[in-house]
Amino acid sequence: MMDLDKIIASLREGKHIPEEAVFRLCLNSQELLMNEGNVAQVDTPVTICGDIHGQLHDLLTLFEKSGGVEKTRYIFLGDFVDRGFYSLESFLLLLCYKLRYPDRVTLIRGNHETRQITKVYGFYDEVVRKYGNSNVWRYCCEVFDYLSLGAIINNSIFCVHGGLSPDMTTVDEIRTIDRKQEVPHEGAMCDLLWSDPEDVDTWSLSPRGAGFLFGKREVDQFLEKNNVELIARAHQLVMEGYKEMFDGGLVTVWSAPNYCYRCGNVAAVLKIDDDLNREYTIFEAVQAQNEVGNAIIPTKKSQMDYFL
Amino acid sequence: MSLPGTPTTSPTPMDEDNEQTVSVNTEPKRVKVYILENNEWKDTGTGFCIGEVDESKLAYLVVSDEDSPTETLLKSKLEGNIEYQRQEETLIVWKDLGGKDIALSFEESMGCDALCEFIVHVQRNIESNISLVTVKSSDNGLGSVHDIITGPVTLPSNCSEQNGRTLLEALRILNENTSFDFLKNETIEFILQSNYVDMLISHFHKAEEEKIPKDLFLLSNIIKTLILYNQRDILESMVEDDRIMGIVGILEYDTEYPTSKANHRKYLGSKGPNFKEVIPLENEDLKIIMKKCFRLQFLKDVVLVRFLDDHNFNLISEIVMDLETCIIDFLQVGTFLDRLIELYDTDTLPDSPVEKEKFVQKRKDGIRLLQQCVQMSINLDALDRSKFYKTLVRKGLFKVLDYAFHLETDSNVRILATDTIITIIEHDILLIHNVQNENSFKQQHKVAPDDKCPTRNNSQGYNSNTDSKLLLILSTILLSDKSPGLREQVVQALNTLLHPEGCLSNGEGSYDLMSRSNNESKNTSEDFPSFGYGLNSDSINLDSYNYNNDDMNNLEATESESEFQIMEYFTNFYNKIAPILFGRLIKKDATTEMTEMNGKIKKAQKDDLLLIHLVKLVSFVCTEHDRVLSRRFILENGILDSVSNLIKGNHILQLRLTAVRCIKNILCLDDKYYHRYMISKNLYAPIFKLFQENIDKNNLANSCIQDFCRIIIMECRMHRDDDHNRREDSNGTRNRSNNIIKPNANNSRTNFTILNKYLVQTYGSILRKATYIPFIQDMLKFGGESKPDHSSLENSLESENNVSVNISTDGLASNHLEDIDMKNVKRLHSEIEHFDNDPHYSGDQLAFKKSVDQMNAST
Repeated sequence: MMDLDKIIASLREGKHIPEEAVFRLCLNSQELLMNEGNVAQVDTPVTICGDIHGQLHDLLTLFEKSGGVEKTRYIFLGDFVDRGFYSLESFLLLLCYKLRYPDRVTLIRGNHETRQITKVYGFYDEVVRKYGNSNVWRYCCEVFDYLSLGAIINNSIFCVHGGLSPDMTTVDEIRTIDRKQEVPHEGAMCDLLWSDPEDVDTWSLSPRGAGFLFGKREVDQFLEKNNVELIARAHQLVMEGYKEMFDGGLVTVWSAPNYCYRCGNVAAVLKIDDDLNREYTIFEAVQAQNEVGNAIIPTKKSQMDYFL
Repeated sequence: MSLPGTPTTSPTPMDEDNEQTVSVNTEPKRVKVYILENNEWKDTGTGFCIGEVDESKLAYLVVSDEDSPTETLLKSKLEGNIEYQRQEETLIVWKDLGGKDIALSFEESMGCDALCEFIVHVQRNIESNISLVTVKSSDNGLGSVHDIITGPVTLPSNCSEQNGRTLLEALRILNENTSFDFLKNETIEFILQSNYVDMLISHFHKAEEEKIPKDLFLLSNIIKTLILYNQRDILESMVEDDRIMGIVGILEYDTEYPTSKANHRKYLGSKGPNFKEVIPLENEDLKIIMKKCFRLQFLKDVVLVRFLDDHNFNLISEIVMDLETCIIDFLQVGTFLDRLIELYDTDTLPDSPVEKEKFVQKRKDGIRLLQQCVQMSINLDALDRSKFYKTLVRKGLFKVLDYAFHLETDSNVRILATDTIITIIEHDILLIHNVQNENSFKQQHKVAPDDKCPTRNNSQGYNSNTDSKLLLILSTILLSDKSPGLREQVVQALNTLLHPEGCLSNGEGSYDLMSRSNNESKNTSEDFPSFGYGLNSDSINLDSYNYNNDDMNNLEATESESEFQIMEYFTNFYNKIAPILFGRLIKKDATTEMTEMNGKIKKAQKDDLLLIHLVKLVSFVCTEHDRVLSRRFILENGILDSVSNLIKGNHILQLRLTAVRCIKNILCLDDKYYHRYMISKNLYAPIFKLFQENIDKNNLANSCIQDFCRIIIMECRMHRDDDHNRREDSNGTRNRSNNIIKPNANNSRTNFTILNKYLVQTYGSILRKATYIPFIQDMLKFGGESKPDHSSLENSLESENNVSVNISTDGLASNHLEDIDMKNVKRLHSEIEHFDNDPHYSGDQLAFKKSVDQMNAST
């Protein structure tokens, strides 16, 4: 059995994890994730976190500012990878925490957790640069397929990466999806990961080319039908870190400060206490330091030997 | 009205060197002259305007009266810092040094053009401080757009003595100059023609030595600004040998990280990536291009990664691609590839252990090199790619792959070899085949025919059966290599190779093949073997795909030669490769023979991860291949029995669920043979056993089986709706076109209704417990509905009711469930429209669920 704590320590320092270890990590994670429902059940108190996008050092800040996984329960709403330069470390760190503290970490799939998207937006290239081949990317993509599509907190708060789907409007219906697949281009599974809230009267085409736009009416219907009071989602950059809409029936939480190392936004996490009160914690990007206190400038790794 | 002719020798601004043109005046152009007086434009007459440069090199705009040509309406000197505005097409407006506002309104825009050119000429050659700008109303009609046509350009100081002040000034100027194309182009010209960048680099070394952070950060910003000019020549000049270190050095400083510094130079220097020459390059230019290419990528991916905008990024990518195209072209002309592939020519290694080690390493590096070549080619255009891959295959790529798959044991190297293959076949699945074929024709004409049975050491021998050989190699690797990454890659390659559309859709390749085969067949008179699809041509079993003509009746009509070849290819796959590939899923009694054939591969030690791949491949061949071919293989070998068996315990859950999905996929084919087979063999039993294990759990297994049920009920509903519509049609409106009768109009039994009924009858007790599934009632109803006799339906439900009470942990609830179920079943016949209107039954369902929940709560 591998030493999880050791791997966690290495990951926090952004160190290379051998391919073998990643493979075993991924396999063990699969087993764990399979036990969770498409909509995972989570208890309060819990802290809801939005997009991470490979910003490892900001993820570490997130844990630091919100209590840490040793003391706090977390839901991550997906988009762990792409854009940032440490997609692999960020995702693996979350997997390790999941393995180490299964009841304290819930991971939901985002629209970036797919083979197709990661090939374009950075994760694939990052792995090839770090390992010289794509194996580790393949292992991770296999884990993506096992991630939950949503979570429900105390039967009262529905969490999802993107938003709602016109095809499935109850939590029970979402449970009938066989989620172990690449995210399709249409249908409920796609919508849950891709849709956005907007001031629209009814379901509308999304400019993203996948998922839908949905408005207050759809949110209110969903809340009533499923007897929940809030939809918590991520998926859209919010300069202030979070944004409530539709009379507080929906909130967008964004947890990647200074997104892409240039957007200048702050990040937020949302803590839900036992009485379902909402408490937002805002944090900024801070310059990371290595183990001996030297500043780390986030950067990509270059390819090693070249022949051409 | 007489129009003035177009000028024949108008001076152009580019004729700076030609002093002769300076004194040549422009052709007269008809204009009206206006002067601004008391805020009103006053027409002072109409005449002909020329630009004039006199002996003492003074330039004027002169207008002579059209009625009395000796009278001058206007003579205005071009001097000082006068700004001439061209407004719209025909107006030139300016304020002269005396403060007088003058406007020339030209009869036509060409006249205005000519005088504007004159102004440009004067600015460039005589009065450098005057300027010409254009003013046009913007597209939306609001406001106006200014652009500079010519004028004085402020450039940064190129003096070797720089300091914080001059650098700050330079940064300001460079930024300002990006606002107009004219200024920008002039600045670019200056950067390229002067040694400005070199000057910056040398000041950088000084500033670093003397530790002047202000200068360092300013320099970094200046270089970044130059990069934002997004100019190809500037970018390329920055990565030249004598500048690259200076540039990345400067860029190590970043105002966003004022307290730290990157270490790009160290990285590019001794510690960093090596430019490795497996085979020495003879062409020095090529080496330079390769380095340039790498450095640009380094800039793009590492040094400037947080900084580049989309335009910069795209430009650098474009340059890189051009260089890559160039590299790939170069590689094909010389002997480089031949020398590379020679490395794999012989099995004999050097005697000395050190030399041997070196040689083996060289071979590994050679495979890395080839993989990089092929990776690099991905961005090229399709024709260039094809050309390059064909060259590779012609020169003997297969020798390399053969080495990688047979002698090389390092999985990492094998992965790269597989990657190379995948890239080529995903580009054009027939390319390898075609090139090999072309070789084989040459062979047949040149060499004695007994050369047709190749051995691995025969360098000419990889021709006639490449496809099978490749499939066999890949299958063997999948079954024998333990590296999970390699396996996944091999599966990807197999999927590509076994994708029938890949073979059909690629026009270029297959027509190529066709035309050649027609020409050659005249000479060879042995069409089939020459296509070389068989491991061994005479064993091709033509019967195996003709055995059921019912299903293939339209095949014969449209069958072209190329379809025939593809058929042959797949027939061969099922005869030769599939029995090996799927050996572990072939039922015991059938395998004895196979295991002998398959001696090399270690026998069935438990390997669930491998089985996952195999089961997925079963799904793939069943759904993608010619149904008759694949079904025959699958059913005759009892593959589905094995798949169903895998759902039972003692396998990892990932595999069990993969097997369920395989069954689901086959179900979806709506193929009556498969449907009958799976029911008669009771292959669904393990699925329901698995369901029972997970019935109260909110997990993936549960959802996977819910999805299985959902597929069936959706199909049943669709059938019901069709049926319903048909009934309405025949009852009332018969005038609806020409009596379309669906084939099974009188037969309301479909594969899915039969299956649903079977499942409800066999596993109803389990299904009935899954009350939380939104459509489970529907499924149960459908299962009952097709029973013609009501009383027997009730009987059967009652008898199962007993079973379910026994199994159930909550007898009360399930009794209650049966009651409601029965009511619904009875109501179904009278209220069918209601269900049609509400496909999700949500109202009923919720009410029902709530009542069950209440029952549960009260107990």
